[in-house]
Amino acid sequence: MSVKNNLSISEKTAKLNTLVAWFDSDEFELEKALEKFKEAESLAAEIEADLMALKNDIQVVKERFDKAL
Amino acid sequence: MEKTNSLTFSVSDFIAFTNQTLEYTYPSVAIEGEVASFKVNQGKYVFFDLKDEGGSVGCFMTVWQLRIPIEDGMKVIVTATPKLTQWGKFSLTVKAVRPSGEGSLKKSFELLKAKLSAEGLFSPERKRVLPALPKYVGVISSTQAAGYVDFVKILNDRWGGLKVDVAHVQVQGAEAPDQIIQAIRYFNSREILPEVLVIIRGGGSADDLSSFNDELLVRKIAASRIPTLVGVGHEVDESLADLAADVRAATPSNAAQILVPDKNEVIRRVGAQIQSLLPRTEQAIATQQTEVKSSLEYALTLTERRIGEQSDQLAHLRRIIQEFDPNKVLARGYALIRGEIAVGQNIEIEKKDILITAEVKHVSEK
Repeated sequence: MSVKNNLSISEKTAKLNTLVAWFDSDEFELEKALEKFKEAESLAAEIEADLMALKNDIQVVKERFDKAL
Repeated sequence: MEKTNSLTFSVSDFIAFTNQTLEYTYPSVAIEGEVASFKVNQGKYVFFDLKDEGGSVGCFMTVWQLRIPIEDGMKVIVTATPKLTQWGKFSLTVKAVRPSGEGSLKKSFELLKAKLSAEGLFSPERKRVLPALPKYVGVISSTQAAGYVDFVKILNDRWGGLKVDVAHVQVQGAEAPDQIIQAIRYFNSREILPEVLVIIRGGGSADDLSSFNDELLVRKIAASRIPTLVGVGHEVDESLADLAADVRAATPSNAAQILVPDKNEVIRRVGAQIQSLLPRTEQAIATQQTEVKSSLEYALTLTERRIGEQSDQLAHLRRIIQEFDPNKVLARGYALIRGEIAVGQNIEIEKKDILITAEVKHVSEK
């Protein structure tokens, strides 16, 4: 499992945004673009997989609320 | 004289006996009528008459039991216990009052809205922003209500990974406000607080939704430590609970939409982000190619210029060399002499077109 897999969806999204911003920044270098692109693509795939896999944990609490105030 | 077997009471005992009988017969009675002579004494005690075309009965309650504003002329339903006072006056000890009929509901709503609004309970400055992506959510609703089912379906369709604790309460009827208040209190007293408290109920009649106009409930929502998201009824329905909430949802489904982003939309957006990188890279490659091409063209131009200069120089040298061509000199009428220049020696004289062999007759200094 890559380090990225341990990140939350929010963290991965933030990382993806940083990567995307790099492409529009003055730091952009053609030599590094392919590597960064692959990283962004991999993050996007992970985000999609995470989103599709996550399920909500919905529990009705046992507490009763019909006592007189 | 006729002898009777009936009991003889003291006045106090009679009143007590009557009250006992009334309490046994009518432990709780709901009566509908119009409010008249409404007044509050010492800020604590509420008195009014409940009347219709045929009669009138006095009512008593405390201000804390009065959960909705009422005024003369309003039609209400009181839940009360009949009682004979120590002064022999019959009255109703009221436990709860609720408006009856659309006109009264609306009037009550407007009165409470004006009162709470004046206190700043609905002010925009009080509104808190909900977390963009909550992880832990508290929900207060009836788990049997259609609105709750809609909420859960939309929530599951849109996002995952949430911990959702649901407080099952009544969402209509006389018990509803107190149950919802208890549920709000429950969530607000948890060791780990939910990040958002969602209070939802589907559509219904004005009377069904009137629970969400209860003064104590509205105040409790406004006072919640946990930011609140309230979605009650349909889009056109407005409750005071909505107004007191940090965020109002038009419906329970809309509450789910406000609460979490749509994962399919997020996936589409992420895909679009990746797609947007390609043109940027392609543009960088094209720019690089243009720069390389431009450099090569410049180098070619320089080379061609240098070659031209060399060619010119060569032509110039060639012209100079051509000027030294002996044939050209001969063509101008000069002659080329070969052999020893000494008297009696033969020499060869080359002219432009002829060769002459001659003998040297005389040689002298010029």
